[in-house]
Amino acid sequence: MKTSFAVSYVVLTCAFAVQAETKPAAPKPVEGLVYYTWHDAKGRAVEAAFQGMEGSSIVLQTKDGSIYPIALDKLQAADRELAKKLQSEILAKETNTSADKAVYRIWHDTQGHTVDATFRGVENGNISLQTRDGVVAMLPLERLTKEDQEIAKTLKPAGLGIPVDRFVAEAAAKIDEIVNLNLKTKGEKPNALASDEQFVRRVYLDLVGRIPTREETMDFLGDASPSKRAKVIDKLVTSDGFNSRMFDYFSDMLRMADDAQKAKFFSYEEWFKDQLRANQPWNQIVKDMLTADGKLLENGSAGYLLRDKGMRLDNLSITLSTFLGANVACAQCHDHPFADWTQRQFYEMASFFGTTETYQKKGGGANMLKGMKGELTQQEMQRVRKLAQVNALAVYDTGKNDVKLPDDYKYKDAAPKTPVAPKLIAWTPKDNDLRSYKEMSAALSKKGGDENLRYDFANWMTSPENPRFSMTIANRLWKLIFGIGVKEPVTDLDDVNASNNPMLLYHLSKEMVRLKFDIRSFMRLLCNTQAYQREAITKQVTPGEPYYFPGPVLRRMTAEQAWDSCVTLAIGDKVDGYKLKRAEKYSAAMDIQPGMSADEIRAKLAMGKGMGKKGPAAAKPGKKGKGPAAQAAMDDGDPDHVRPEVMQGLVLARASELPQPEKDQHFLRMFGQSDRQIADANTDEGSIPQVLMLMNGEAQSVLRSPRSLVLATAMKQEEQQQNIESLYLSFFSRHPKENEMKEAKEALDGGLSISDLTWVLFNAREFVFVQ
Amino acid sequence: MNLDLFRLDPLSRRHFAERMAMTTLGVSLTPLLGFGADKSASDEKPDLTKMPGFGKAKRVIWLQMQGGMSHIDTLDPKTGETKGASEAVSSKKGDFQLAGYLPKLAGQGDKISIIRSMTSKTGVHAAGQYVMRTGYEQRGTIKHPAMGAWAQHILGPSHKTLPSSVCVNRNPDHGNGFFAAASSPLPIHDPEAGLQYAQSADGTDVLKKRLSLLDKIDSDFRTKFQDINLKAYTDFYDTTMQLMSSDDTKAFKLTDEPDELREKYGRNKFGQGCLLARRLIEHDVRFVEVSHGSFDMHNDVDDAMQDKGGQLDVALAALLEDLSSRGLLDSTLVVLCSEFGRTPTINGKGGRDHYPKVFSTLLAGGGVKGGFVYGSSDKQGREVADKMATIQDFHATIGHVMGMNVEQVVMSPSGRPFTIANKGTVITDVMA
Repeated sequence: MKTSFAVSYVVLTCAFAVQAETKPAAPKPVEGLVYYTWHDAKGRAVEAAFQGMEGSSIVLQTKDGSIYPIALDKLQAADRELAKKLQSEILAKETNTSADKAVYRIWHDTQGHTVDATFRGVENGNISLQTRDGVVAMLPLERLTKEDQEIAKTLKPAGLGIPVDRFVAEAAAKIDEIVNLNLKTKGEKPNALASDEQFVRRVYLDLVGRIPTREETMDFLGDASPSKRAKVIDKLVTSDGFNSRMFDYFSDMLRMADDAQKAKFFSYEEWFKDQLRANQPWNQIVKDMLTADGKLLENGSAGYLLRDKGMRLDNLSITLSTFLGANVACAQCHDHPFADWTQRQFYEMASFFGTTETYQKKGGGANMLKGMKGELTQQEMQRVRKLAQVNALAVYDTGKNDVKLPDDYKYKDAAPKTPVAPKLIAWTPKDNDLRSYKEMSAALSKKGGDENLRYDFANWMTSPENPRFSMTIANRLWKLIFGIGVKEPVTDLDDVNASNNPMLLYHLSKEMVRLKFDIRSFMRLLCNTQAYQREAITKQVTPGEPYYFPGPVLRRMTAEQAWDSCVTLAIGDKVDGYKLKRAEKYSAAMDIQPGMSADEIRAKLAMGKGMGKKGPAAAKPGKKGKGPAAQAAMDDGDPDHVRPEVMQGLVLARASELPQPEKDQHFLRMFGQSDRQIADANTDEGSIPQVLMLMNGEAQSVLRSPRSLVLATAMKQEEQQQNIESLYLSFFSRHPKENEMKEAKEALDGGLSISDLTWVLFNAREFVFVQ
Repeated sequence: MNLDLFRLDPLSRRHFAERMAMTTLGVSLTPLLGFGADKSASDEKPDLTKMPGFGKAKRVIWLQMQGGMSHIDTLDPKTGETKGASEAVSSKKGDFQLAGYLPKLAGQGDKISIIRSMTSKTGVHAAGQYVMRTGYEQRGTIKHPAMGAWAQHILGPSHKTLPSSVCVNRNPDHGNGFFAAASSPLPIHDPEAGLQYAQSADGTDVLKKRLSLLDKIDSDFRTKFQDINLKAYTDFYDTTMQLMSSDDTKAFKLTDEPDELREKYGRNKFGQGCLLARRLIEHDVRFVEVSHGSFDMHNDVDDAMQDKGGQLDVALAALLEDLSSRGLLDSTLVVLCSEFGRTPTINGKGGRDHYPKVFSTLLAGGGVKGGFVYGSSDKQGREVADKMATIQDFHATIGHVMGMNVEQVVMSPSGRPFTIANKGTVITDVMA
């Protein structure tokens, strides 16, 4: 049987080398740590605290808080002994009640080989074992000794059950090892594994953005297969719901709004959804957005740059913080007060977009109207002018770089209004040795490099060798399902060592590159870790305090998760089927070309009637039914269009298939959906209006109506006990506990109806909080 | 395994050390620097609470223009090369001028103080709005409270069931900061719609039975998790029930206002928001913010100012007149502000860009002078020429007239010391 050191933590002599360089001004030792002087074989020394031993490496923490792993055999003999002594002290301190210790045992095969491993289950006559290094092996049960075969039959599968893909399981085990090592060095223990009930609700919400239906829950809980967790993860990451979930996340991050720049950004939204559906690699999606050309009406990917039409510096600032975690916003106006970014550096980066225009002053816009004046009425002309404005929304390159330092530039290195040449920022001097940087220097030194500036920038930014691009998306997706980023805030990764677990951050970044920026594969990997499948932390997690991931944190559902769960309760899993399509129709009605005749223009105006106005998004709040009616009007005449169900004025579709963002008074907005003006602006806080809505609004009324699936299913059961069971499975993905059953029965006997019980579960904290 | 990933270098190590020094040293040293709670006792500085203006304003209506309001096109008109498209108008007494988009406000000039020497370091919207609401720079480690939440903490709730703070036309973020979520402002997204769902269709008796069952079956979950947000939800349910069982919800009903007055404020979200604000402060809501977008006028500032600036003019003038005629202006502070100003030079698209270096704000009513201009920008509106005022000074001034000692230190739950105006100085010159 193959065994290897899954995480051979590396072998760095760097820790020694670094000490020789300039030391930071004021090292601040962490209280309570004992610092030793360690010597390597070459006689170099480093002062650091012992943080634990892992495999053949020890982990040291220097006085400035940085953590380094060092191979044991690089140390001098005396220090090796010291490490072993310290390690045994740590082990002695640990209690022996740790659950994951008990599950390791020595397995014997008939040939006399042995392996120290946990039992992950038996399926189809094969046994699945996982060694301490994370290596997963599946072998015929009969190859084990009789005695071990018997044990396998009686033993409960440990950990996460049988993995579907052993490579995923091994990669997940590496992540767990890094998390556990970090916990151990901080004197903390991982939480116990979450129950199947907790797991199924969490994984549905995290991967498809809604709670499981009653049937989905029962299928999972009733499945005796030891590989069911891995299987459900695989099912979910490849489902339609996954695309909706990711759209909800990215549309908040990217501030996607239907209405911007006096036009509709439908084509951008649908282009982005297409990318998710096709599982385009993240680096490709981002690159396409930065290099897009042409009209918004014809090329949705242009929407990213056009979202900030005429605001090149703002757009860049957002690009850098969103995709690279480079906290440069301050440098837009002055040198960054804390980081090393200068205002000049900011402008040098902006210079990569110096030839890019986001508004066609000539050509696309007003010119199109020449000669129309006599042929169209004044009123028609007014409307055509608006059409022309929408058509003028386009990205193109001028070939002339016009970026200059601002009028009020106050630093001595250059005069205000000096033209600025493009230059990349680097986080460390060594970044310049990376291929992505070298390629850029080569590109810039070529003649006429101005023509491709934006493309060169996109290549550099999305390169697997960009030191921050893969790390930023990896950290963001980690936060998405753990509730906290490895580094907070996710928009500032300038100092990786200030994170909760620098080694984890580097590792996740590397995994993102190994998986070729495949978001589905990456999420699949994270969900297969024990770290993810543990119970949520019950203690208060203070913002700004370090968190070492003994398990995910308790989270309030996002607005989209809450809404989508609500709709799932009302109509079931068919909710994932409906897809909103608006771009094609809008573009057809709005797209005008130079040289069109007055009649052709008039035909466009007729098509666009009502469409250029605000759609369902902006239907007057407070007037029920107007939104859906407007929606229905837009669908008219399209035989392929399946209309979503409407109850009590609510369009029962997933948040991703509704107006972006929803109107102010909609459930989604009251529950914290961003207004899409600011990146990552969804909130998870309660408020009085929100609670009033949960108690008295349309959503609870829909769920309590006879047409609602959740209520109808519960009512179908004959016994009162089964009514209650059914509702618990639907809302909380679990069976009621004894005392809960008793209380519910008493309340029902005391005058409350099943419909009232629906209200109660809907308003429970357990419904809106995800453990 | 790619060893490069673990490579550390002097640059990032220096960042780390700097940040450590900033966060750990900065906080732990502040008490030693005379920032401690016993400061006022040992200090010979005059007692702020005895200074003019202190506690004159019982209520605040805070109007925040989102996107960065051009100072030159509103409160600080210029002549010469940076002149805006409008012709400036003179105040009622002719003692100062406003941009031509604000003729009605000029007519109420005897009621207002203008600060023309505001300055800030933040030229980005979100971060700028954050500073304007809280007085602090945005940080990843802590959320700072807005003025309404400070007041609720220091002065107590202003009403037994109604919230102490309401924000109109925006989400309640930049609200409670590190204080409990109960001091978060109640958001009204649409003043016309008011407070929605204030009544239960099923009657209070059924509602009470449901809530009693809810408390029983949800209690395990609530005790299992020590989470502040979870606890806040439970508190929100309690306060919401109290609100529903009172008749205070009429404070949110604009339909009770005469049509004529509603027209006077302007039939738009901002105008009606200002009217709602007046109604709410009459019902003892202490702090109401009304926000108004979108002042981010990168393109054609003249066109945009006629629209948005016109709405501001109508609503603010109506509000001042209305408050004054009801005898409320003396005890109500009206604040007009924005996250930054806009560039004096008009850009290639007829617009103005972000400009935090100098801009203007306005105070009126409770405790402050009327017909007064504090500080000035230079001839072209590019620099502060006289009496520079930071956002922190602005906050200190407002906190002071609200009756809060701006030097009082309050510890956050994480044990860090904070003051209301982030060490800003009260601008005593504007006190009546």
